[in-house]
Amino acid sequence: MTAVLALAAVELKRFLRDRSNIFFVFIFPLMLILLIGSQFGAGAGQSRVAISGSGTAVAEAVKTKLEAADVDVTFAGSDAVRQELSRGSTDVGLFISETAAAEFDARGSEAGRPAEIEVVMGSQSGAQAVMQQVRTAIQSVNVERGQLAALTQAGLTAGQAGDALAAASQRLSAPKVEVVDTSEIAQEFRGLGQFDLGAAQQLLLFVFLSSLTGATTLIQARRLGVVPRMLAAPVSSGQALGRFAIALVQGGYIMLGTALLFGVQWGSIPLSVMVLALFCTVSAAAAMVIGSVMDNDGAASGVGVGAGLVLAGLGGCMVPPELFPETLRAVSYITPHRYAYDAFAEIQRHEGTLGDILPQLGVLAAMAIALLLLGSLLLRRSLNRSL
Amino acid sequence: MGVAGPTDAGQSAPPTTEVLRVHGLVKRYGELTAVDGVSFTIQPGETFGLLGPNGAGKTTTISMIAGLIAADAGTVTVAGMGMGPSETAAKRHLGLVPQELAIYPDLTGRENLNFFGRLQGLNGKDLSRRTQEVLELIGLADRAGDLTKNYSGGMKRRLNIGIGLLHRPTLLILDEPTVGVDPQSRNSILEAVEALSSEGMAVLYTTHYMEEAERLCDRIAIIDEGSIQAEGTRDQLIKLTGGVDRINLHGSGNSTAAAAALRLVPGVQHVDGDGSALALTVHDGPSVLAGIVTGAANAGMSVTSVEITRPDLESVFLHLTGKALRD
Repeated sequence: MTAVLALAAVELKRFLRDRSNIFFVFIFPLMLILLIGSQFGAGAGQSRVAISGSGTAVAEAVKTKLEAADVDVTFAGSDAVRQELSRGSTDVGLFISETAAAEFDARGSEAGRPAEIEVVMGSQSGAQAVMQQVRTAIQSVNVERGQLAALTQAGLTAGQAGDALAAASQRLSAPKVEVVDTSEIAQEFRGLGQFDLGAAQQLLLFVFLSSLTGATTLIQARRLGVVPRMLAAPVSSGQALGRFAIALVQGGYIMLGTALLFGVQWGSIPLSVMVLALFCTVSAAAAMVIGSVMDNDGAASGVGVGAGLVLAGLGGCMVPPELFPETLRAVSYITPHRYAYDAFAEIQRHEGTLGDILPQLGVLAAMAIALLLLGSLLLRRSLNRSL
Repeated sequence: MGVAGPTDAGQSAPPTTEVLRVHGLVKRYGELTAVDGVSFTIQPGETFGLLGPNGAGKTTTISMIAGLIAADAGTVTVAGMGMGPSETAAKRHLGLVPQELAIYPDLTGRENLNFFGRLQGLNGKDLSRRTQEVLELIGLADRAGDLTKNYSGGMKRRLNIGIGLLHRPTLLILDEPTVGVDPQSRNSILEAVEALSSEGMAVLYTTHYMEEAERLCDRIAIIDEGSIQAEGTRDQLIKLTGGVDRINLHGSGNSTAAAAALRLVPGVQHVDGDGSALALTVHDGPSVLAGIVTGAANAGMSVTSVEITRPDLESVFLHLTGKALRD
């Protein structure tokens, strides 16, 4: 056991000693998860409104209404709001002039004139919907002002009118409307956080890709002559252990990193680790096959990248397989990625138990065993060739 | 042990306490028989040489002895235990120094030793102590923390040997350890092997350098085309050639008369004349040299130079196979 761990440890040490690996294995995946989650993740369409005219009653009233509707509201100067609109970093800009603020605040003989607010909509696709939310918020403020005006005209003081409206709103429970998308796809992604889907996809993509490109270490080991020395040692197995250790460290790092940095919910940790460990075994065994079949490490690296990306694409690590056409969805089941993806989906989205993911684990285990047997046979042949 | 001719693969040897026992080893690659019925034994503290040209089957033989590849026929026993690719118990008694450098260039010397030591089952303080001992033995203690890719060729060779010694093997196999090494490092390696042998370690040494085999080995097996042609001590092997020396005489005067006179000198077997030079084959050249020079002078030949060539392993190989060792 010590010898097998030594094999894994030395491969890991050599891997980490190469600085370029640090970026592509540990930094790049997290960057990609952040990017994908920000652009396409659940909740990525957060409505944003920027208001120029902070400190005025009308601005505060509109802000309160918008925030009640889960809109992200920020205050800024008019130039800054225009800049945000032009850059697409806000969906709608509200420009409240001093005149409009004064008309909103007006009492007595000055009251009754409309407070005109300039509203500018951004050009991005979601801006139209946010514009509707702004209209609703302003309308709501308008109704409240009308109710207050009516009560004060009926002889109540402003304070009494406000209290009466508050009491009335507490007595009445407004009907709540919940919009539920009943499409199959929408149901599949229900409950996912902004980065959850991307994290699982990128985890599988990078673990497999790194393992396959790491097949070159086996070729290098043959070329360096260290494999015969290992075979002469009292070690019964362990050639795939190095790749497995690297894959497991990388996968564990992505899981931990995304949980801490992006709040990704991996569901049951023991089950997720189990899926990861089996997937790493498949990856390491596939790397062993490539490393045994090929003698040129440059070519092996190219094949590793190509196969890694194609299998990841087919297995749903680039576009969710739920969006695949039916034929492609069937084809995706030739890849280990798809089974691991399904297992993670079960754990993350539906609080799946061991029983729920047993079929996926079984297929991954079968793939791992088949590839390990094939890899061992091919490795033995490649060693005979090199000896 | 007496001189043996080509080994009989089918012959069964009596049980002994030998460190290594190889019996009837055969390895075939398709139509090619790379190793054909190789048998020999090595006793404790003995240095045994496998001498043969490139492609003779030396590396294939030790690959089977070290359990790297399976034999098609025959058996290997190390320290009384059967050896094969999956025989881990026997492998604990064996240290292999492959012909090619077998070290990681992106690890330091100490890290390489630690790693291969762990593969051999060493760990903890035992591993640290042995690593330090070996570093001092191979003269790399002060460079132990450097990456080996920054080592010189000789330093890498020394580390390559050091790794094979880490776990104090009963049998050390050195596969052409001096190939491509500068003379200074080569001498250092040969001295190290001599030191190990004097400490009682059994060594199997393969080489195609006759001088190394003569200097290091207690017994030598001459291997060619996959089979052992002869086996024994250096002197025993040389006797296979008939123990004949060659003497070349150069000079002026009547060489024809000198040749006729020298054929009558006791110990001279054969004389060839070629103008100013005569080539003689004799028994025990040094003892008959004075009589030859005197005889030539008496016959009218003034000798200006004499050269004696004693038989060596090269001559033995030539005698047994009809070709030069470096062919």
